[in-house]
Amino acid sequence: MTSNHTSVPSYMQGSTRRVGIMTDVHRRFLQLLMTHGVLEEWDVKRLQKHCYKVHDCNATVEKLEDFINNINSVLESLYIEIKKGVTEDDGRPIYALVNLATTSVSKMASDFAENELDLFRKALELIIDSETGFASSTNILNLVDQLKGKKMRKKEAEQVLQKFVQHKWLVEKEGEFTLHCRAILEMEQYIRETYPDAVKVCNICHSLLIQGQSCETCGIKMHLPCVAKYFQSNSEPRCPHCNDYWPHEIPEVFDPEKEREAGISKSNKKPLRSRQH
Amino acid sequence: MSEQSKNVCDPNFTAEPSNSEVHGNPGVPGGPSPPASQAATLAGPESPPLGPTDASLALPPSQAPSEEGDPKALQQAAEEGRAHQAPSAAQPSPTPPAPAQLVQKAHELMWYVLVKDQKRMIIWFPDMVKDVIGSYKKWCRSILRRTSLILARVFGLHLRLTSLHTMEFSLVKALEPEELDRVALSNRMPMTGLLLMILSLIYVKGRGARESAVWNVLRILGLRPWKKHSTFGDVRKLITEEFVQQNYLKYQRVPHVEPPEYEFFWGSRASREITKMQIMEFLARVFKKDPQAWPSRYREALEEARALREADPTAHCPRSSVSED
Repeated sequence: MTSNHTSVPSYMQGSTRRVGIMTDVHRRFLQLLMTHGVLEEWDVKRLQKHCYKVHDCNATVEKLEDFINNINSVLESLYIEIKKGVTEDDGRPIYALVNLATTSVSKMASDFAENELDLFRKALELIIDSETGFASSTNILNLVDQLKGKKMRKKEAEQVLQKFVQHKWLVEKEGEFTLHCRAILEMEQYIRETYPDAVKVCNICHSLLIQGQSCETCGIKMHLPCVAKYFQSNSEPRCPHCNDYWPHEIPEVFDPEKEREAGISKSNKKPLRSRQH
Repeated sequence: MSEQSKNVCDPNFTAEPSNSEVHGNPGVPGGPSPPASQAATLAGPESPPLGPTDASLALPPSQAPSEEGDPKALQQAAEEGRAHQAPSAAQPSPTPPAPAQLVQKAHELMWYVLVKDQKRMIIWFPDMVKDVIGSYKKWCRSILRRTSLILARVFGLHLRLTSLHTMEFSLVKALEPEELDRVALSNRMPMTGLLLMILSLIYVKGRGARESAVWNVLRILGLRPWKKHSTFGDVRKLITEEFVQQNYLKYQRVPHVEPPEYEFFWGSRASREITKMQIMEFLARVFKKDPQAWPSRYREALEEARALREADPTAHCPRSSVSED
């Protein structure tokens, strides 16, 4: 799964930025958000309600956007924030606590060896340079000889790629790899700074684009959920840049209600399986 | 203890904000300690851990008796650290870094600790020095102090030295009540269920569980040692290597058996983080029975719960990384 980043507007009061107050409700929320890594919006809302229930049942549950902005105003000075993104393929809103410092691919560094990290970087480059946002397993494995650190065989590299999938950095679809939505959310800044020329950007939301649709005339790109929103109920979609006819199928806008119903009926059938992101 | 930590950085304090004027008297409440402590104060021994923090950002720390670790041992070690620092003070000391740099290091350390905890890895002091503090070793005490202050104030977590001997830290929840998070999201972290399945099997058996028995149980979840699972991946690797590395399980050869067979035991981390009562509740949930359907185990769980309460009536339950799913 992949994502783009929509920035949550910051709360401003005149010229001074008001820093929010942390209560146990916010602290528990942060703890649990950190524990889970990345969460979908409906999970986040449930989490918020839970934290209110535990600490302050009488208070009205604040609107999620304000709640998160409040917490982010406190986190700002720590260079971390609760970041909201949208999965690139089906437009689900997701949230994660991310570090804004771009010193390194920090979260990965302690899990992987030098040659493994380099394999990831190579895969990342292929993904960014590709037209579709996917890099084939074959192409990645062919770069195994160029890796820094200990020599890695192709067989080993296959397993390392699976490790990336398990840790939710990459996603595999039919032998091809792209970035997991969590990776895009956490690494967007790092990616934009490291590959400023190769990086693609969505014409609508201006965030990092890995997967999307392009205009065949002028070449601008848009995320699938951005396309869905922009061309919603438009019978003659035209490119916002060159006005040429938009040749691709317009996807549906993500509807959380429909999604939840589908999820509930799925989970009734398979109680032991966890939800796939 | 590594050479460097003896000389310059003393890990043997509880990493809680403290008032440097109070010389280790647990009963006396201290005044607010300025969070903006500049260059390291090689001042007196650190006081025992402080109680839960205030909701507001301006934080006057209040002191409470030590919840874990022996305050006397910590104080002794702190004094030991001070004694070691005395001779080195005679040498020309490097220029203290700008306060902003120490603050930045504290933020890096905070993130480092949070991520280690998220991945359920051990937070080891020498790693902290190597990976984050680096050349700021000399000021690690003030960096650690600031980091704990931030973690307490913003996340409601205590950065606690859980083992003086192995220099391990852990993040302990400082919020009451503890147990409720388990039901927060029924979207379970799959690893937790898998681990609890194995731990409860071992617990019910009352001794090690043979690998074959474990696979019989995992078959219920549709898991096989030779099949890759969509969520768990290589299950065998997960339970025999990863969970063992994280100290949740022990995987040992059964003595005197040929051909070789292996069995699983609870790991030290499982014993620390998971209570027997939690296992009973898990069993009750999975098998839809009353926990008293395993009478002797239930009795054990009750006794453990009582012992925990008696040992520390003011303490929070041991933080379980599996309690929230």
